[in-house]
Amino acid sequence: MIKALVIDDELYAREELIDLLHDTGEVDVIGSCNNAIEGLKKINTLKPDVIFLDIQMPQITGIEMLSMLDPDTMPKVVFVTAYDEYALKAFEDNAFDYLLKPVETCRLAKTIKRLKKECQEQDYSPLVSEMLELIPCSGHNRILLLAAADIETAYSDLTGVHIVTKDTKATTQLTLKVLEEKTPLIRCHRQYLIHPQAIREIKLLENGLAEITTQYGYQIPVSRRYLKELKDRFGLN
Amino acid sequence: MAMELIFSLLQQLSVYLVIAYLLSKTPLFMPITTVSGRLSQRFSCYILFTLFCILGTYFGLHIEDAIANTRAIGAVMGGLLGGPLVGFAVGLTGGMHRYSMGGFTDVACAISTTVEGLIGGLMHSYFVRRGQSDQIFKPFTVFTVTLVAEIVQMFIILMVAEPFDKALHLVSAIALPMVIANSVGAGLFMSIIQDRKTIYEKYSAAFSSRALKIAQRSVGIMSQGFNEESTKEIAKIVYEETGVGAVAITDREKILAFIGIGDDHHLPGTPISSGYTRRAIDGCELVYADGYDIPYCCSLHQKCRLGSALVIPLVGGNNEVLGTIKLYEPKRKLFSTVNLTLGEGIAKLLSNQILTGRYAQQQALLTQAELRLLQAQVNPHFLFNALNTINAVVRRDPDKARQLIQHLSQFFRRNLKQNIETVTLEEELQHINAYLEIELARFSDRLNVDICVSPELLNIKLPTFTLQPLVENAIKHGTSSLLENGKITLQGYCNKGCIVLEVEDNAGNYAPIGEESGLGMKIVDKRLKNMFGRQYGLTMSYQANEWTRATITIPADAQQPIHTNGTNGETAV
Repeated sequence: MIKALVIDDELYAREELIDLLHDTGEVDVIGSCNNAIEGLKKINTLKPDVIFLDIQMPQITGIEMLSMLDPDTMPKVVFVTAYDEYALKAFEDNAFDYLLKPVETCRLAKTIKRLKKECQEQDYSPLVSEMLELIPCSGHNRILLLAAADIETAYSDLTGVHIVTKDTKATTQLTLKVLEEKTPLIRCHRQYLIHPQAIREIKLLENGLAEITTQYGYQIPVSRRYLKELKDRFGLN
Repeated sequence: MAMELIFSLLQQLSVYLVIAYLLSKTPLFMPITTVSGRLSQRFSCYILFTLFCILGTYFGLHIEDAIANTRAIGAVMGGLLGGPLVGFAVGLTGGMHRYSMGGFTDVACAISTTVEGLIGGLMHSYFVRRGQSDQIFKPFTVFTVTLVAEIVQMFIILMVAEPFDKALHLVSAIALPMVIANSVGAGLFMSIIQDRKTIYEKYSAAFSSRALKIAQRSVGIMSQGFNEESTKEIAKIVYEETGVGAVAITDREKILAFIGIGDDHHLPGTPISSGYTRRAIDGCELVYADGYDIPYCCSLHQKCRLGSALVIPLVGGNNEVLGTIKLYEPKRKLFSTVNLTLGEGIAKLLSNQILTGRYAQQQALLTQAELRLLQAQVNPHFLFNALNTINAVVRRDPDKARQLIQHLSQFFRRNLKQNIETVTLEEELQHINAYLEIELARFSDRLNVDICVSPELLNIKLPTFTLQPLVENAIKHGTSSLLENGKITLQGYCNKGCIVLEVEDNAGNYAPIGEESGLGMKIVDKRLKNMFGRQYGLTMSYQANEWTRATITIPADAQQPIHTNGTNGETAV
């Protein structure tokens, strides 16, 4: 059975697709959600084999969401759309799988067949943007979109990945690896990223360790391995 | 003896012509340069040429108890320029005057002068009847007519004056000098008039060409509307073509354009402060402060160099004043008459252009509105989404799907009918309801709509497609971006003698500038203004991330006194 996640902002469309997938007898729909932010969370927790991803969604579109996924753990993606001509062109050009709404049963069967056969990774880079401008985060009972430029530091712990700005602390579903690649943040520790412009002071400690104090007074540890890179970056060697 | 007389007469003639030349510089001369046949022109002719007639007698040389003179010039020309009646009157007056001076030729001269005037007048009639009135102004014509008239005079003297011997002697002495002097004198006099006429015509030609140039250069500028950009261009053209010190154009409240001296403190966009301008607008009258009789003083700056102003109202349809155009001259310069006259013409031209521009804009607006209607009729995205929703619903809830199809067909049926100009609020609400049923199914788990309209408002008339685009906008650009709990409120109520219709969403995404929705909103606003007047229309307000509110204000009398049987307008969806 293929483990699938359905992400679509319209309730009836979601239900319809779940029913259709169920009818094939080859797909186990392990979850569904109505926006991309919820989707990121479910991808991380449920680890589906494939996501059925709607493109027109509030706040973050399906295409934008693609850029926020860690390529290493990324599930296969089947786009579902009603009319987005621009997106359709991109799918055609890159031989991505997509379904048009309303979804036809035989077209869906073809997609399932291909999903089962195809083992090699799809390269989504033509759709993926180089840099992320906004980072979706969940705060207390709300969803925030934080500007990447405003982030001072990001770190991971047992509860997830956390983002710190001047006045906000929030949790994101994006991995540190994605953040490192697609935001100005740089690595200073296995579990910490720092915005270079947020560094106010680097205090050198014993054993080749160091500690960064940020503009807004946060203390960030620097490990031996990354201190050298940091020094190189600022020409301090 | 004869030669001597000729020279003396020509000498007298010179003085006579100098006076004529000097007079030609005065406005007194203007009427006689045309053959208009108007009473004023005839009167001027009579006065002027009677004076010349008498002058001719006084300047004459006394010979043998008679006077060799240039009286004939006045009589003949009076007749030629003023017609038979004037000619007769001039001749008679001049003749009576000569009679009063006595001598043995007194009666003969009185008769002959009258006859001369009459000859001139008859020639006038002859030329006018043949449509050759320009012949009158030819010096050669006058020369010939005077020549004939003088010969006739000589015969009359011979016939009338007693005794015949004395008369014959006199005529043989004065005939040649008088015939030559009068004919040449009349010819020269006419050439003075002709010069004057040419100068005047050149002046008018320059005037017309300037006016034409302004008209030509300003064509089409106003089609962009009566605003700062277009008026700036017009002001520049007027400024360049008239050469006045400064040009300003205002609307009813503020200066739209100012160019020339003093543009450092007369700034476009500032409210009108001059009392003259206010008077021109309020009284719909031309105000001319020449800086002499009526003092002009800049209301903005004490050291302003402008010393006189001409304010002309721009009058649109129904005598509504749209604004003013103002011409200024600096203190050291006077307004030229050309510019004073031209100013009014420019104002008329501008008014017409503004009206034409408005008409063109309305046409464009109509086309836009039609375009919008067309778009609305075939909105593929809406149809697609609706079909997808119905497709998704049909398996789980066939009854619901059937309802949705009914709403969809209702929506499209109404859309097809939207070529009519106005609908009642009730009809518009039904249309919105059909639309919302589809959208509510689509966003079922994250959209709520609350409609609350006072029942007495249901009969008011609105332009078609007024509220539905607002609701569509609130969903498309508002609540659809919310992850959950989208809410749209539609309210209708009376407030301070106005009817207010409000569509509010809880997204607060409204971007004041940009995208096609901006165009849609503009069209709604303009159509409301066209129907109800400028003070009404659509306004947008928003609180970022909180709400966006589209408010329509229309006059309370949009309400019709018809009452439907207790329709309940409080529809909750």
